[in-house]
Amino acid sequence: MHEASIALSLIDVASEVLREHGAARASALTVRVGAWSSVVPEALTAAFPACAAGTGLEGARLSVVTVPGVGDCPAHGRVTLDVTRGLRCPSCGAPTPTLVQGDELELDEIELAEPDLEDV
Amino acid sequence: MTATNPRIVTVRQNILKANDHTAAENRAAFAAAGVRAINLASSPGAGKTALLERTLRDLAGQVSMAVAVGDLATENDAARLRQHGAQAEQIVTGTVCHLDAAMVQGVLPRFDLAGLEVLFLENVGNLVCPSSYDLGEAARAVLISTTEGEDKPLKYPTMFNTADVVVITKMDLADAVGFDRDLCRENIDRARPGVPVIELSSRSGAGLDAWFAFVRGQGA
Repeated sequence: MHEASIALSLIDVASEVLREHGAARASALTVRVGAWSSVVPEALTAAFPACAAGTGLEGARLSVVTVPGVGDCPAHGRVTLDVTRGLRCPSCGAPTPTLVQGDELELDEIELAEPDLEDV
Repeated sequence: MTATNPRIVTVRQNILKANDHTAAENRAAFAAAGVRAINLASSPGAGKTALLERTLRDLAGQVSMAVAVGDLATENDAARLRQHGAQAEQIVTGTVCHLDAAMVQGVLPRFDLAGLEVLFLENVGNLVCPSSYDLGEAARAVLISTTEGEDKPLKYPTMFNTADVVVITKMDLADAVGFDRDLCRENIDRARPGVPVIELSSRSGAGLDAWFAFVRGQGA
């Protein structure tokens, strides 16, 4: 289980974005996790709150979007892959050596929490 | 009223970009010194250290080699490897279940890279977490032993999917444990179509020539 390490890296990347935008806090963030990334979304979600404590991400809502694996079959074009069957076209079984998508591990969006200027 | 005014920012950045950046620095350092760095990953007990012991012994005097070995708590592996005359530096990872590029970078000053041809990076025994972390290696070898079960490549597809070579170890035990060679190779090919596979026994020495060729960078 390396999701705590991943959560800490996520917080580093997100904190950098907060600094770039002059924001103190985020209220939500979305990450994209590929089916071939070896990261378990539930474990990442579980690890995140403790890792975020004391940072600008504390209390932020973490959404994990799972990105399915997609391969390129010579006969069937773009096909959705099943991790348990490996890199094989689900229709004809041909090898699909390259993942077109599905190995992502990225911070997609951040919702910055900024004080409403009219209320300051 | 303390209303907030949410603003959505699209980021689209790799979460492990800091590791990838450090890995690129390691890769540049290896290239500048002419060192071939090989990342070895497997489950615990698949025989990484045994294969390295045999490699250090058999290629002594022919290839200048050293090892950086990761372990959660002990120095045992480095001590085993030093018996064969090569420099072995332990990276104690504490509670962390994988090597990352910064850990490797931290140990590099202990090596005379210019005098080395091959640096083995023996990862923590784990088929999940090491797959996410580029160390800056030239090649990644993933080991699976005949005693583990033929479906490991499908259970841990990411690890096998990032392999440049898959090594089946403990072939001397294959018959005793009823190892299904064809099924194992089929599953490896499903996880990583076309990947070279080397079958060997560190104990008997069978199949080591193909491994030594890979170590030297002469293909698998």
